[in-house]
Amino acid sequence: MNALAQANPWSAVPIGEHLFLFSPLIVLLCTMLAIVTCPIILGRGTRPVLAIASLGVIVAMIFAVQVAGEVPYGGTSGFSPGQDAGMLIADSLSSGFQIILLIFMSGVMWLWWIGSSESERNAPEFFILLLGSALGMLLMVSTTNVLMIVAGFELASLPSYALVGFDKRDRAGAEASLKYMIFGAVCAAVMLYGISLIYGIVGSFSFPVIAAYIQENLIFSGDRLVLIIALACFMVGIAFKIAAVPCHFWCPDAFEGAKVEVTTWLSVASKAAGLLLLARLVMLLCSAVPHDKVMFVLRALAWGIGIMAAVTCTVGNWCAYKQTSVKRLLAYSSIAHAGYMMMAAAVFIHPGVAGHQAGLTALLVYVIIYLFMNLGAFGVTAMVVWETGNDRIESFTGLMRRAPWLAVPMVICLMSLVGLPPLAGFLGKWWILLALGSFEVVHGGSQWYSFKTLGWSLVIITVLNTLLSLYYYMRVVVRMTLHDDGQPVVRASIRGLMLVNACAALLLVMFFLAGPLKEIAGRCAEGLYNPGAALSPATQPVATVGGEIE
Amino acid sequence: MMSIGLTEYLVVAAVLFGAGIFTMITKRNAIGILIGVELVLNSANVNLVAFDRYLERCRIDGQILALVVIVLAAAEAAIAVGICINLYKNLATVDVDTAAKLRG
Repeated sequence: MNALAQANPWSAVPIGEHLFLFSPLIVLLCTMLAIVTCPIILGRGTRPVLAIASLGVIVAMIFAVQVAGEVPYGGTSGFSPGQDAGMLIADSLSSGFQIILLIFMSGVMWLWWIGSSESERNAPEFFILLLGSALGMLLMVSTTNVLMIVAGFELASLPSYALVGFDKRDRAGAEASLKYMIFGAVCAAVMLYGISLIYGIVGSFSFPVIAAYIQENLIFSGDRLVLIIALACFMVGIAFKIAAVPCHFWCPDAFEGAKVEVTTWLSVASKAAGLLLLARLVMLLCSAVPHDKVMFVLRALAWGIGIMAAVTCTVGNWCAYKQTSVKRLLAYSSIAHAGYMMMAAAVFIHPGVAGHQAGLTALLVYVIIYLFMNLGAFGVTAMVVWETGNDRIESFTGLMRRAPWLAVPMVICLMSLVGLPPLAGFLGKWWILLALGSFEVVHGGSQWYSFKTLGWSLVIITVLNTLLSLYYYMRVVVRMTLHDDGQPVVRASIRGLMLVNACAALLLVMFFLAGPLKEIAGRCAEGLYNPGAALSPATQPVATVGGEIE
Repeated sequence: MMSIGLTEYLVVAAVLFGAGIFTMITKRNAIGILIGVELVLNSANVNLVAFDRYLERCRIDGQILALVVIVLAAAEAAIAVGICINLYKNLATVDVDTAAKLRG
């Protein structure tokens, strides 16, 4: 257990191969340092900062694609002081997420370039905060060590609080950042208390070790109750990141008060990081031999996550009904979508479960599609906000006449958020439903609380929620197309039109490229880092496929 | 003479945790809520260090996390106070109930 004291201290020095695997993170860090020094050398102008940040993101992207090709099947762990799993890991999931996040970040930077680059006086600070939170999100997904999860979690959260309140003269922004920060601080503190209890029981911060301990001792151990409380406290932190009910209260306020670019960034990036972290932890927790005695633990976990997901998407859709602010409406819609994605994490419960692989694949496909849907919808909202000065739903009235090149992509993105074919949003929902429908354990039994019941009830809840959500998305569409109160024409910049129309076109194209999309996500979803899997023959991969993503 | 063992430390930590949660729930002042957060963070620290001292299976990792938590608490306090000052400039109060422009 006491790895640090026994190990040769030099073994903790990273070797070149490991440094290469984590090169996208290192590049982002260097970009942050370059931006810190930029005001001293090149002045506080927007252009040099934007140039350095774009260069950094492009270089990080090149490295990320290289790493995705090189990363070994089953992942590798680096920076390890002993026999335990290392502080950082690189596997197909983490390198896939790096590429997704970097693509999304370039979209957000593009949006910032259109809207804020002329008026913004604090560009270096903005980019340091943005890159810092991106780094934290990447760290959250590329680790199995609880200490590193805490560090990544806080590195992702702290810059986000400042980003939400970035405009100092904005009252709504100040209030939103206060609420976000207080909520985040409370959830992080509760999570740390849970972690301290887990540490006392298990004696390690390595999540595979914790998972193995839980597998062996949960049934007969005397500290079962403490362990369950500790895990629940830990879950509070992750639920805050995902904005899952009951930790979702920050989400609409922070999204409404923040600048549109920041809202776009938080709506996809922080949720995706939290969801993939949850999926990884669930996978590690359940990856040992499928004993009959631990089956009830798995069942409790699946039901817990499943019910949380169902409540999250229902509450999100329900509250979106009466919203009059489009940013707030999209915030509640993002809560609902986080609920759908969490359902996929509930299916991703055990290697002995049918649909286990399909669960994570569906989650990743959904994240990729959701990225473009939200980038498009928020992009149009941003341009309307910059033109009219507010994000009330009335500002969208007659948009089809006022700016057809904004209205058409908005309709496409909203219909894709509903999940109507022939748009990519349909694919994401379809594969999640498919994974839920095939959710079954080989010897699962046929009681009312079996996995099959859970899967099918989640299917029904998802379909009902989709019908519910149709109404409030349609309300915006009807406002844009059928109503017209003679508001002036919206003049959008050509760069902005390029962004939103590209997103809309991609949503159409991706529907017809369903096969390749699923294959890419499937590559990312298999061969995850899992030291426990090596012990049990049940979880060995059937066919060895290379881990590359190109 | 009574010796102090692990249980006493855990009780202190649990009391701190409870006091912190109580503070967060009852206080309306943003700074007050942050003090509650600090109490909870420090209860985690007491736990971690006590486990390292008394349990054979825990040796040094807990103390490392305790140091990390101290640094995180400082960083969080810096950002939190910055945000509170910003709110005070805009609203002339740090009462979380007054800051209720965004709702629904």
